[in-house]
Amino acid sequence: MAPGAILSHLHRADGSATYTHNGYSIIGAVNGPVEVLRRDEMPEEATVEVNIRPAFGVGGPKERHLESLLHSTLRSIILTRSIPRTLVQITLQVSSLPEEEASTRVNSSLTLLPHLLHTSLLALLSASIPLSTTLTSALIAVPAHKSDPKLAVPLLSPTAANLLRAAPIQSTHVFAFSGDRRLLLNESEGAFSYEEWEEACEMAEESCCKEGGGGVDIGEGMEVDGQQGNLEAWLREVVRRKVGEEQRWRVAT
Amino acid sequence: MSTAVTIALPGDVIPPSALPKPQKQNKPLTLGPGLRHIPPSTITSTIAGALTTDSKKNAAWVEYNSGRFLPAVGDLVIATVNNSAGEGFNCFITPNTPFATLPQLAFEGATRKTRPQLAANSLVYARVTNAGKESSPEITCVDPSTGKSEGLGPLKGGMVFKISLGMARRLLAGKKGGVTVLEGLSEKVGFEVAIGRNGVLWVDGGKVKATLAIGRAVQEVDEKALGETGQKKVVEKVLRNL
Repeated sequence: MAPGAILSHLHRADGSATYTHNGYSIIGAVNGPVEVLRRDEMPEEATVEVNIRPAFGVGGPKERHLESLLHSTLRSIILTRSIPRTLVQITLQVSSLPEEEASTRVNSSLTLLPHLLHTSLLALLSASIPLSTTLTSALIAVPAHKSDPKLAVPLLSPTAANLLRAAPIQSTHVFAFSGDRRLLLNESEGAFSYEEWEEACEMAEESCCKEGGGGVDIGEGMEVDGQQGNLEAWLREVVRRKVGEEQRWRVAT
Repeated sequence: MSTAVTIALPGDVIPPSALPKPQKQNKPLTLGPGLRHIPPSTITSTIAGALTTDSKKNAAWVEYNSGRFLPAVGDLVIATVNNSAGEGFNCFITPNTPFATLPQLAFEGATRKTRPQLAANSLVYARVTNAGKESSPEITCVDPSTGKSEGLGPLKGGMVFKISLGMARRLLAGKKGGVTVLEGLSEKVGFEVAIGRNGVLWVDGGKVKATLAIGRAVQEVDEKALGETGQKKVVEKVLRNL
C-alpha cells in the first residue's frame, strides 16, 4: 500500500501535509522562514525547530528523542545557508496510531520514525523551503527464527498487525536515504550481526530509491500501485499532483 | 494536465537538454527562483514545482504556488506600516518576518520638512529595493531615477484581501496570467486595485459593498482556478448583485 498524502490543506500555516500509512496518521505544519528568537539566531544559518505532539497526552522523553533525530536529519537537507537568521518551524501532530501498536513489543519510536520523516518532508515541500535533496525512509523488522537465525526473512515496512504475527522480533532498523542514495539516518535496535544489518540496509535502499541516478523525468508519472511501491516514485507522484493542482488554471475553461 | 510539464523535485539535476537554448550566443543563462548552480556546471532544483523556461530571455525557473513570500528586488508589495523609527518606517511585508525599512524620504515630493505622516497599520504600495539575505529588506515608494511615484505610495481607504502568491503573479503578469475578471468588472463598476506580490490585493470600489464584491470575486477565481468562461460567470453574478 502506498502512503496517502494531502498537501497544503491548513491555510494558516505556510506549508502543511497530512500523511497516512499503515494505520498511522500524522499532520505536519511548517512555518518559515520567519523571524527567529534572538538567542537562537545564527548569523549564517537558519534555525530549525521540530515539535512533535503525541497522539495522546503531552510529549515526553520519547518525543524529545524523536525531535532530536528529526532535527539533525532535516537540517542536513534544508539549505540553511540560503535563508540565514531565520527560523523554520516544523510541528508534527500524531493524530492516530494503529490499534495493535501498543502490543507489538517493538520500540514505538522506531516504528513511528519513518512516518514522521515523510510527513515533515512533505510539509517542507508544501512550504517551498529550499532543500538540497529529498528524503525517503523505511522500517525493517527482522523476526527471530527458532532453529536457524540465517533463515529469518526481514519484513519491509511491516504494519503493526504484521509485527504482532511475526513476534518475537529480533531487531528493528530504520533507514533514511537522500534522493541521491546517500544514507542520511540509521537507527537500529536489538541483536543483529553486521551481515543482517547490511541485508536490511540493501532492502531499505531498494524500496526507498529508484533505479539509477537522479535527474528529472519528463512526462507521465509512474505506477505506484504495486505491492510495495517504490517510495521515490510515490514522492514524485505526490509532487506531480501538487503541481497539477497549482497549474490547473492554465487548462481551465 | 498536459504532458509538457516537467516536474522538479529538490535535488534533481536539471539536464542541459531541459534548459533553454540561447538564441544569441553571448546571452548568459538566468536562473530564477528554485534553481541553484553548483560550480562548475551542475544546476539542481531546490523546491518542488514545475520547471519553466523562457528561451527569449534565456531563463529558467521553478514555478510553485505555496509557501511564504520571499522578497526579491523589484517586487511590488503592499506593506503594513508598524511604526516610525528615526529616518524610516518599519513595515511588514509578511507577518512574523523581520521589518522592511521604508525611508521617510522615499516618497514623491518628500523633503526633510514635508515628510509623510503614516500611522501604525496604514498601507503602502512599494517596490523592493534591497532583498539581500545579509540585511533586512528595504522598500521604496519612488522611482529613484525619475523621483516620481509611478503609482506607488500610501493606500487610503479600501480593503485588503488575501490571495495566493501565484494569483498575485498572474494578476501582475497581465495577459499571460489569464485573469479577466477585473477587466470584466471594470466595464460596469469603477474601482481601484493594487496587487502586492506578497499575496495581498487592495481594492477600493468607493462603496463597501462594491469593494467586498470585487475582492471576493478575485478570491473566488483564485480558489477555484477558474478559466475564462468561469470568470465571466463570476463577473455576471457580481454585477447582478451590485
